[in-house]
Amino acid sequence: MIEVEGLTKHYGAVAAIEDVTFRMAPGEIVGFLGPNGAGKTTTMRILTGFAPATRGRATVAGYEVHARPLEVKRRVGYLPERVPLYEEMTVAAFLRYVAEVKGVGRGIRRAEVARVMARCGVDEMAGRLIRNLSKGYRQRVGLAQALVANPPVLILDEPTVGLDPRQIIEVRKLIKALAPEHTVLLSTHILPEVAMICERVIIIHQGRIAAEHRVDAAGPSLEDLFLRAVSGDAAA
Amino acid sequence: MINTWAICKREFAAYFLTPIGYVVCGIFALIAGLGFRALLLEYARMSQAPTDYGFTTVPDFGEFFLHPYLVFAGMIVVFLSPLITMRLMAEETHRGTAEQLFTLPLRDREIVFGKYLAALAMLAVMMLVVGVHLAIVAYFVDIEPVALVCGLVGVFLMGAAFLSLGFFVSCLTRTQITAATVTFGLIMALFFAGNMAENLPEAQEIAVEGVGPLQPILIGGYRVIRTLLQQLAADAHLEELTLGVVRPQDVVYHVLFAAFFLFLTFRALESRNWRA
Ligand SMILES: Nc1ncnc2c1ncn2[C@@H]1O[C@H](COP(=O)(O)OP(=O)(O)O)[C@@H](O)[C@H]1O
Ligand SMILES: [Mg+2]
Repeated sequence: MIEVEGLTKHYGAVAAIEDVTFRMAPGEIVGFLGPNGAGKTTTMRILTGFAPATRGRATVAGYEVHARPLEVKRRVGYLPERVPLYEEMTVAAFLRYVAEVKGVGRGIRRAEVARVMARCGVDEMAGRLIRNLSKGYRQRVGLAQALVANPPVLILDEPTVGLDPRQIIEVRKLIKALAPEHTVLLSTHILPEVAMICERVIIIHQGRIAAEHRVDAAGPSLEDLFLRAVSGDAAA
Repeated sequence: MINTWAICKREFAAYFLTPIGYVVCGIFALIAGLGFRALLLEYARMSQAPTDYGFTTVPDFGEFFLHPYLVFAGMIVVFLSPLITMRLMAEETHRGTAEQLFTLPLRDREIVFGKYLAALAMLAVMMLVVGVHLAIVAYFVDIEPVALVCGLVGVFLMGAAFLSLGFFVSCLTRTQITAATVTFGLIMALFFAGNMAENLPEAQEIAVEGVGPLQPILIGGYRVIRTLLQQLAADAHLEELTLGVVRPQDVVYHVLFAAFFLFLTFRALESRNWRA
């Protein structure tokens, strides 16, 4: 569903990511784990067609991102790290706008918006101005926006950052329920989050893939993997 | 097409979900209203005692009221236009919503036209004020409706041209205040260029000595530059239109102006996909 090969992105002299390569099968939930500044956001921005890569190929849902951006964008729901919302709109108006742009037909637009609002638990906020929402609700509206039109691929950049513990649990549950219907790539720098939600983890450190592993209780603990990866002596 | 409409609707609504739409329309209605009143009173005085003002008969309504009023309205539109266009892209960049905008299944042209249409719709709202003023005079004065429509369209075209300039600038800046300031500066520069050109002497008047065969070339070049500068001046192209005369070059000027900056806007958006 997602194929990344030799992806490299330079900002001037700085290499944000270097030769990133990985694959995801349909229906997988994969955690993209790495410390701050590792290159998670950069990778996701390339996958969603927001920014071009310096080198390398990314294919999402069968389309090369740089060559067929529109086809990719039709199939990807994206929750950026800095949840982008139009402050002056109400939640429902904002989601209706997203639905219209994503090509949800006029007749079923209202129902689709109601569906994602219910799924993300923002239905009682439908008439509120986004500017007045708490951080937790903003995050959920961001998630709802990604879910509109039910795209097969979801790319979520640190979806639980800034939430309180109860909200974190709810959002994690919500994301876990998205598979196997959706292929989900979510980034995080929180170890237990990966253990809780994901089937597989890709560890990125200083712009390079440091390790790739199935998440299962029997194998080595995530902590060990992560520490080995970021301390540099684990060439995956 | 549907997407262009969706963007346009959201953009236009945003003007009136925030104070900016009311502020711009309010200021315009106020200043245009004051100008309308002052110019109308002035014309009334002139027509009551034409000889005091050096006329032999009642001065022409088109030339002595309509024309100055429309030029005045056009100037206010142009100088308020940075406030309409400043948010178009800079706000998205600043708030981070650009990241959503550019990852939704939208083509660049849908984004550009949607946003530009919303700005034009704001301009149309401002034109309603001018429309009301013109309707008032049309009720009292016997005047060709065509002349009124012509004038209105002239002001609209000029506004549309400057909106495209501001839109382009908004694509290059990260904050609205920078976008507005830079646009304002460019508008001033355009007007100064026009005024400067008007004060340049005719080609024949400049005596160039001792260059021999180069003389005709220099004079020719000077003539071209002088004409270009004069043509660049946006207000020059409003003159005839507001007198009720439609000259193709005036319409073409504004349309080309808008097309040029919309094209640059496209390129500015496209540049984000260039591999660095
Ligand atoms: N626009 C940019 N200009 C320059 N450097 C950048 C830019 N965006 C990201 N970087 C750098 O690229 C690296 C990776 O950043 P990022 O992908 O945001 O990491 P993460 O999301 O894993 O925290 C960091 O060192 C960051 O400073
Ligand atoms: Mg990040």
